Amino acid sequence: MTAALQASVQPSTSLTSGTRPADPSVDHTLDQLATGSSATLLAVRGEAGIRRRLLEMGLCPGMVVEVLRRAPLGDPIELRVRGYLLSVRADQARLITISPISIARIAGP
Amino acid sequence: MLGLAPVRAGGPATRTVAIAGNPNSGKTTVFNALTGLRQKVANYPGVTVDKKTGRCRVGRGDAQHWVDVVDLPGTYSLIPSSPDEQVTTEILRGLRPDTPPPDALIAVIDASNLPRNLYLVSQLLELGRPLVVALNMTDIAERRGLHVDAAALARELGVQVVPMVGHRSRGVDDLKDAIDAVLAKPVPAPLPAWSLPAAMTCEMRRVGAEIGPDASAMGAIAHRLLIGDTAADISGHAARLEPSLARSRERFAGEGLDPVLVDIEARYAWIDGLVGRTVTRSEIAAKRTLTERVDGALMHPVLGLAIFAVVMAAVFVSVFWIAQPLMSGLQTGVDALGALLTTHLAPGPLKSLLLDGIVKGVGAVVVFVPQIAILFLFLAIMEDSGYLARAAFLMDRVLSKVGLHGKSFIPLLSSFACAIPGIMATRTIDSRKDRLATIMVAPFMSCSARLPVYFLLIGTFFAPFFTPMQRPFAQGMIMLGCYVLGIVAAAVVAWVFRRTLLRKGPKGSFILEMPSYKAPQVTEIARQVWVNSSKFLTKAGTIIFSLSVLLWALSYYPRLPAERASAIEAQARAAAPTASATAPVVAPAERDRGNDTPEAVPIADPVQERVDDAVASAQMANSYAGRFGHVIEPAIAPIGGDWKIGIGLIGAFAAREVFVSTLGIVYGVGDTETRGTTGLSEAIATDRRPDGSLVWTPLVAATLLVWFVLAMQCMSTIAVVRRETGGWAWPIFMIVYMNSLAYVACLAVFQVGSRIIG
Repeated sequence: MTAALQASVQPSTSLTSGTRPADPSVDHTLDQLATGSSATLLAVRGEAGIRRRLLEMGLCPGMVVEVLRRAPLGDPIELRVRGYLLSVRADQARLITISPISIARIAGP
Repeated sequence: MLGLAPVRAGGPATRTVAIAGNPNSGKTTVFNALTGLRQKVANYPGVTVDKKTGRCRVGRGDAQHWVDVVDLPGTYSLIPSSPDEQVTTEILRGLRPDTPPPDALIAVIDASNLPRNLYLVSQLLELGRPLVVALNMTDIAERRGLHVDAAALARELGVQVVPMVGHRSRGVDDLKDAIDAVLAKPVPAPLPAWSLPAAMTCEMRRVGAEIGPDASAMGAIAHRLLIGDTAADISGHAARLEPSLARSRERFAGEGLDPVLVDIEARYAWIDGLVGRTVTRSEIAAKRTLTERVDGALMHPVLGLAIFAVVMAAVFVSVFWIAQPLMSGLQTGVDALGALLTTHLAPGPLKSLLLDGIVKGVGAVVVFVPQIAILFLFLAIMEDSGYLARAAFLMDRVLSKVGLHGKSFIPLLSSFACAIPGIMATRTIDSRKDRLATIMVAPFMSCSARLPVYFLLIGTFFAPFFTPMQRPFAQGMIMLGCYVLGIVAAAVVAWVFRRTLLRKGPKGSFILEMPSYKAPQVTEIARQVWVNSSKFLTKAGTIIFSLSVLLWALSYYPRLPAERASAIEAQARAAAPTASATAPVVAPAERDRGNDTPEAVPIADPVQERVDDAVASAQMANSYAGRFGHVIEPAIAPIGGDWKIGIGLIGAFAAREVFVSTLGIVYGVGDTETRGTTGLSEAIATDRRPDGSLVWTPLVAATLLVWFVLAMQCMSTIAVVRRETGGWAWPIFMIVYMNSLAYVACLAVFQVGSRIIG
């Protein structure tokens, strides 16, 4: 499944004008990922109950997560993870750090 | 609650199987396919989670026997994060005294979403109960290019796996056979083997040894303690072993190991291996699924919102359009029954009770069933198709702005049907403050009990402003306006509460699966519409029936002394000619109704009508209800009400729809001989004050609409709020703040409105 998901990740073509240089000292979080882009999940932080539920829903470190769309006003965010669709608020997406490899795809502020 | 059909059984069922699964896994479909109509819905004591039980016949030939089937609330994990999940977990662990531990489990899993569904299975396997896996939605999986090898999955899991398409009833017989087999030879499901870090297994052994001698069983308990499971069966150990557990936590921290993460990762690693060996993927798997393409439109920031608005508007307009002929039919039936009673019964208390108390009181509410059923129909379709989750997604930002939650949307939407299921549905909201805020504003959503009042007022007082062609649309829009007013009030109040009483603590979360779209199932929709509509009817048949009788008695007794009655009659007869000359006999509403109400022809003898009205009015004024109405008249006069409206409002405190039936009684008393089958709307449209002015004007109607949108008048809702909040403080507060708000708003509308109109 993981392999298949990896295979389905398209090389990014969604470089936005807001692309900014990688800054390794800053954690990049899922809420910053541009719509239509994918990234590898690094860690899930936050209060124990919410963190556990995010992990249980399949948002585990190493997984590839794709941001499919944002609701009107930019929040919540719809994700594809482990082959299904999951929506989280930007507040929860902010708890999820993503790999610097996907920084090129991070939207501007 | 209410059952669909009596649970018929061919002998005692001695075994129970419980159906567990993720939300959206098609669990209820499998339950329905197994039990057919032999099911009932009740409540788990102490909580307001639906308990669905049914019966299913398994086995072949002479060996056929009945098995009890329990449909558990959907859960993602056995470490619960909502009351629904809590109930499921407690039953599965055998911790609820009201539900015997199940003899076997059916795990319903969505074949198109295998990894996350198998996460729950990884926990179910640890329960040590016989287990059958129902591999559901194999049709959707195949369409997505996912082929699950059920036999291989069965070998890997060590339990039976039955491929199914629940909504086509495919695989149901195989599932029954599997249940029969697993009950005949109950073998606990084998424990899955996944690898945990050495530090974890080491601590499991050490803590396990402190609990008891059985290494593997105690290790399992230690495992649950270490990952922070606080279920009731192990909470005693947790308290006793706290120093030891603290030592483990220290060790984990030292090694940079997080037991929660390690546990979840180990399960998913096991699942990934399993999926890799049992699922083959074809090329179409990489393509966008149908659901994703549909979502491109329905969840679009602009188009999606537009579609959502159109859907909601269509719902409310069709509530008028589609229901109209059905309602006319029911009204004709009620009128015919009334006419039958009028001709066959002798005048007296019994006739008055049957005709004015029961037929009119209950009948006034029964005619609204078609509209309520249509509303439930739309709700059921949205829920069953998967659109409701999208609505939560689209609405979350707006709801969170006022301190609510996307998940508040579903309870609030249900509250449009009835606040009671709506408030019950807040159980899915994890945060207590989010939940309380949702409960406190849910009654602002215009429920079905207000529909009779809205229909009466809008239909009677606003219809004359529009042509017959415009009418359904215009009335629908006024109705929509009532709904919008309630929504705005809810938003403002929630916003205020989240900054005062329910100040935001830790940020609320929104973690919601977007299920795959599916064609709504006719049987399931019909079932939901039937259950909900009959709940409404049952309410009409019990609460409203008793209140109708009570209110009839209050407005019938005490009778006027005979000499006073004849004095009033003589007086009215003397004054009648001038009165009938100045007052139009036919009201605008009546004129426009045309042949809808053939009985509503102008009465042959206007003098007799005047006289009867005068006697009836005096009788009503003299009755207990009339006296009380007069007592409260000073309070409601500033908002445009008179004592008759006051009686209606008092009745509405039992349940809002009683307003209509009360008015039916109030206006029916005394004039049944001449106007026994005339509609209530004609009666109120032509009612006049002693000075000859109309009691009910469009402004009075508008003010009353505002009152009914905003006021808390439903005692059943108050009872549910008490149960859900665990005390009287919140429900009492709800009554006080909602009614104060409603009164002030009505005062503003009526006083400002009177100045403008003049």
